[in-house]
Amino acid sequence: MRRLNAFFATITVPPILWQVIFFLVPLIFLVVMTFWSVQNYRLKPDFTFTNWQKVLAAGYFYDIYLRTFLYAAAATVITSIVAFPVSLFLGLNAGPRFRIVAIFLLICPFFTSYLVRTYSWQVIISDNGIINTMLGAVGIGQVAMLNTFVGTMIGYATFFLPLVILLQFASIAAIDRDLIQAAHNLRCGRLRTIFAVVVPSAKVGLTVGAAFAFILAFGDFVAPSLLGGGRSPTLSILIIDTVKSASDWPRASVVAMAMIVTMMGVIFAALTFAYRKPGETH
Amino acid sequence: MERLIRVGQVSFVCLVFCFIYLPIVSLIAFSFNSNRFPSLPWTGFSLHWYNEVFADPSIIDAFVLSILIAVSVSVTATLLGFLGAYMDYRWRFTGKNALLAIIILPPTIPLIVLGLAMLNFLKQVGLAASPLGIFVSHSILCIPFALAVIRMRLADMPPELEQAAWNLGCGQTRTIFKVVVPHCLPAIIAALLITTALSFDEFMIAWFVSGVDVTLPVRILTLLQGQVSASINAIGSIVFAISLILISSALAIIVWSRK
Amino acid sequence: MTKFRINQKGLLRSDVSRRNFMGLAGGAAAGLAMSSRGVWAQEATDEFKGKELNVLTWPGHGDPYMVGAFEERYGVRVRVKEYVGGDQLLAVINSTPQGVYDVILADAEVVEQLVDADQIEPLNPADYPFADFFPEFQKFEQHWKDDQLYAVMLRFGYLGLAYNTEKLSAEEVKSYKILWDSKVTGKVGWFDWYLTSLQPLSLYNGNKPPYDISNEAFDKLRETLFSLKPQTAGYFQMADLFSSFANGQAWVVPGIGDWVALLLEDQGRPVKAVVPDEGGLQWTESLSIAKGAKNPELAKRYIQYATSPEGQVKTATLSSYAAAIPNKEGWKLMAKEKPEWADRLRLREDQENVMDQYRKGNIFPRKLPVQQSIEVWNETWTEFKNM
Repeated sequence: MRRLNAFFATITVPPILWQVIFFLVPLIFLVVMTFWSVQNYRLKPDFTFTNWQKVLAAGYFYDIYLRTFLYAAAATVITSIVAFPVSLFLGLNAGPRFRIVAIFLLICPFFTSYLVRTYSWQVIISDNGIINTMLGAVGIGQVAMLNTFVGTMIGYATFFLPLVILLQFASIAAIDRDLIQAAHNLRCGRLRTIFAVVVPSAKVGLTVGAAFAFILAFGDFVAPSLLGGGRSPTLSILIIDTVKSASDWPRASVVAMAMIVTMMGVIFAALTFAYRKPGETH
Repeated sequence: MERLIRVGQVSFVCLVFCFIYLPIVSLIAFSFNSNRFPSLPWTGFSLHWYNEVFADPSIIDAFVLSILIAVSVSVTATLLGFLGAYMDYRWRFTGKNALLAIIILPPTIPLIVLGLAMLNFLKQVGLAASPLGIFVSHSILCIPFALAVIRMRLADMPPELEQAAWNLGCGQTRTIFKVVVPHCLPAIIAALLITTALSFDEFMIAWFVSGVDVTLPVRILTLLQGQVSASINAIGSIVFAISLILISSALAIIVWSRK
Repeated sequence: MTKFRINQKGLLRSDVSRRNFMGLAGGAAAGLAMSSRGVWAQEATDEFKGKELNVLTWPGHGDPYMVGAFEERYGVRVRVKEYVGGDQLLAVINSTPQGVYDVILADAEVVEQLVDADQIEPLNPADYPFADFFPEFQKFEQHWKDDQLYAVMLRFGYLGLAYNTEKLSAEEVKSYKILWDSKVTGKVGWFDWYLTSLQPLSLYNGNKPPYDISNEAFDKLRETLFSLKPQTAGYFQMADLFSSFANGQAWVVPGIGDWVALLLEDQGRPVKAVVPDEGGLQWTESLSIAKGAKNPELAKRYIQYATSPEGQVKTATLSSYAAAIPNKEGWKLMAKEKPEWADRLRLREDQENVMDQYRKGNIFPRKLPVQQSIEVWNETWTEFKNM
């Protein structure tokens, strides 16, 4: 028993201690700061509810919150759906050589600055950009993409589509092939096999991929500002705007609290869903 | 029919890869454009932006610092993430969810706000405006990602596997090294890569907590927002080329060592 | 004018250094003109060898082109931390221990905030070549508080309208009215900051100065702003502001000036900036010494260097973006060394120049709102973006 305790401690203490020391204090600082005030552009310890009142009373806060949530949800659904056939192909159909190359091609973009990649989209999708120039050449009129919803979604996908594919692929590749074979033997159609066997077996990867996508989209400000043109502000943009207003970090932290709570809710919902053992549901 | 589906599948996969690589191809192309602003029409081939990058020691310093930080962050975060994931997999105890919540909370905090909070914290402990501060901040941000990826893999590990090892007289610690780590190896490698990439590309927190020694993404941010020059395309292309070489050799080693 | 101050160490001491002499000379102000090369060029000293000067600055000011000569002269290294917004600067300086930074480069309205936040040291006007500055900028109001100097003007520029010359004519952009024209529906871009966006419209509404307006006038300003929503192309940060012009996403942007247009023009883009008849704003970058600076003496030398004719010419022609300079001797040197830039930046005393424009009286400093809080203005901006 003693040995188990020592073992238990060696496993659990380091990660917990690390995050508690280096993260819990800043987090507490953030929470406390929501009750502070700003004087002469400097934070001033205080105990006031003004920041909360101001943020929660601003009509645009709810609009922006809702929009951010919907945008993140849309990005999650779109990337998950686009990623799935690719992961399926890589996980089940592709040969080992193709697979390695594909994984390699999915990892590389991570190392090329997301900021630069997003900026790079501007020349592709702008009004005088590459795509519109090509469309013009074949006689199709200009299609507005930059500074629209489409632009924002392209930005989000640039951010995390490869990651979602990798996570889904990891789960699909781990599925027992016999299971799929069995489904085929039972004369399950291709689609039915996918929905009856693959999706449930790869539930963890699909959910974790979606959760990652949601969190990254919900907090990102590069895509909505560089490719969405800032025309549909999200909470991250609101935070930056708030900070620009006389360094109002306390109020920005209130907005951050709303984001933290939302994302934690989503994470826990996702984790519960993903790791619930089939036995526990029945 | 079968063939048709296969063709459809393959072309869809290709399309998705085209989407992922389109901005990269474009950024590489425009790194050779003589114009400062990447836009049409093309104004002529030039190596000007590369000369500029190689002539600027601050960019090379920033690149080296980024690599140092990214590598140390990824090792630290993957190790701690593994322990966290194993903890969650193995035990149930009161307060576990609360502790887990603290561990995985950092990515939910908007980076700009987390940046300010970290800076204020690091100031208290004397790490403000130092590379060590960037390391600490990135490590807390990366641990949750490592944890999530490894935990995913652990979910596929049958509990009987560990039990069998214990029954055969393997100690707890030895079982970790002999059974759990090998099972999680793909996830551990993935976690190492993802956390390296995250740290290597993070600019917001790094901007806040760094002083005059900055990382490459911070340098890119200030080049993009302040100088607006195509040298960011050149930097992007160079880093892409380096990552191609590094990752392909890493994968080659993995494939080769498995044989 | 500057107050005459006798240095306490003063003339009684035997080592009457040139610094003290300069102090007197500068203090006696405009009449006693300094050497045209300023303080910086005459000095040779080893006392700073090996030191590092840390500068918190907008991007581009740490270019070897700019700091190289200074590093060489004193055997020091200039290291910069670059920020991309006054808010970021304030956040970082307020959360960093004192002593990390020596010199702070900030916009004039941020200098006011830094003074209020007690983050910069008072300066002795006698240390800097104000006598060489144009009279209008010898005692620049935003740099003084309670008759105490806190910053030295480094460079400046005007903000009005920047426009695509292929889509709009010079005649059309003589007034901000063009922003409502059906020709530019969906093509009006904005620099995503309340100050530079609202104040030109305030000028359009006839408010002079644009920042000190009554609540009724502000309500009207809100209406004016909101009526531009259908015209809007997007809200841009610095990088996408440039690419929006380059890519044809925006044709006209208010609150923008030569700092954007010259660069684009340089690269063959059809973009120009003008100050419309209703008036324009002046942006100003200035240098200060950070509170608790480790190397205040070296910081002073740096400011002396940057405001000397040589430093001014380089400052004016930074590759990040070019700007006008307040030092007359700098203008002269520029006409000699970089005549093409003197023309482009309109820095020639014998021609129609930026100072003539200033003297017309429709250029106003970019300042924080007076009668309303920053928050009220900023929320209006947020509301507008979210409409």
